[in-house]
Amino acid sequence: MKTDREDVVYMTQSGYAEFKSSVPLHSFTGESNNLTGMIDFHENVIDFYLDLNTLRTGIDRRDRDMFRTLDVDEHPFAEYTGELTSSFDHDSDEKQRVTAVGEFTMHGITRDLEVSGYLQKQGDQITLEAEWILNIKDYELEPPSILFVEVDEEMEIRIETELEPRSRDETLGGN
Amino acid sequence: MPKPVIIPGAGRFMRSLLAPALLLGIVLTLVMPDRTVAQLPRERVETDEPVDNVFWAMTNVGISTVRNLSEGNLNSSVLHTFGLVDRGIEHLYGLDDGANTRIRLDYAISDRFSAGVGRMTFNKVVDIGGKYNILRQTTTGSIPVELAVKASMGINTMPNTGYRFSERLSYFTSVMIARKFNSFSLQLTPMIAHFNRTVGDNPDQLFGLGIVTNYELTDRLALSAEYLPVFGDRNANTHDAMALALNIDTGGHIFQIFFTSSQWHNEEFIMANNRDRFWKGDFRFGFNIHRVFGIGR
Repeated sequence: MKTDREDVVYMTQSGYAEFKSSVPLHSFTGESNNLTGMIDFHENVIDFYLDLNTLRTGIDRRDRDMFRTLDVDEHPFAEYTGELTSSFDHDSDEKQRVTAVGEFTMHGITRDLEVSGYLQKQGDQITLEAEWILNIKDYELEPPSILFVEVDEEMEIRIETELEPRSRDETLGGN
Repeated sequence: MPKPVIIPGAGRFMRSLLAPALLLGIVLTLVMPDRTVAQLPRERVETDEPVDNVFWAMTNVGISTVRNLSEGNLNSSVLHTFGLVDRGIEHLYGLDDGANTRIRLDYAISDRFSAGVGRMTFNKVVDIGGKYNILRQTTTGSIPVELAVKASMGINTMPNTGYRFSERLSYFTSVMIARKFNSFSLQLTPMIAHFNRTVGDNPDQLFGLGIVTNYELTDRLALSAEYLPVFGDRNANTHDAMALALNIDTGGHIFQIFFTSSQWHNEEFIMANNRDRFWKGDFRFGFNIHRVFGIGR
């Protein structure tokens, strides 16, 4: 894409998002390949969201319980919007550790969240990997029970995606 | 009530401040940078996925349903049927009369195909078989029905019967056609069973049409029913089987508490052996427990 960097944002619509949850003696994973987001280095904006309806744990009844817990009809998205607090060298193809501060919103509740991860330039693309611990009680979600045993309120979140350069105007429109 | 203090000229003073304040507000709005962060528009993902929970378990009471497992999952089922309820309190309404218990394990090789093995008390029948989902009803209606096939083989492992191995074998196949209409699901199941050895004039092949319904009362409770008429030649003194069940989703298990006419499990043995008539009061208590284990994740 022949545009100046100022006119470019890096975007994905098929990123991987995963949560790992556990009950005593057992853990399970929910996955989605519909993580959508962009990094705008010029404006220093990071913006990602996931349609929670696309998460799958491998057991449809468990998915249904998860959707009920998350109240996905009322609050369909988990969202993170923030900014990078560390620099990223576009001329390096090394994996670079970065930190972002911003707000994470789920279940209609917004909390400040600092996330560390890695960015790496790969040709035109940039890969992103990040993980953090989410306490679902912070978002006023009650841990569901499996046979009267409560699911751990802390979940490991991991995202991984390749971001492609896009024109800012096409991506953000009039924003 | 205290009398208000009126300061002469105060109203004119306030009016004189109003115009500069408004002007300052307009200037600040135009000059100050826009702090709104540019965000992507939030868009829901369009999905056309299989309809959830057409039936809650792989077996209703005695008839297999179109429900199948996701790849890598293991389903365990324990099924029990007791004696007739009309045996009275001396037999604790049939519970003292012993249970025909069936244990079954099914493993999903893919999202559409599962295979498993089971064993029941009566005739010590061990059965192996599989279920394949040809069509899945989808949320958008692009596929309006579920279509699945089941095939199995049973082996009578009772000792000291004098049967040759081939005489112990029975075969079964069925086609399951189902659709979920909001909270109500209906399944029609044409089926055929073959027994290598029969008694007297009993036919070696039996044809039936299983009818299964499910109605979701809440997310956790559902009522289901099944009826299994046999068509054509049938075994002497047998009747069409029927069952009514309450399904309970505990979050990890599906419990089915039911009244049924047949104490046998597996469609071929229900068709071949049910001698009780539900509507004549010949029914018995039973319960099934189903649990899916996510082996793959």
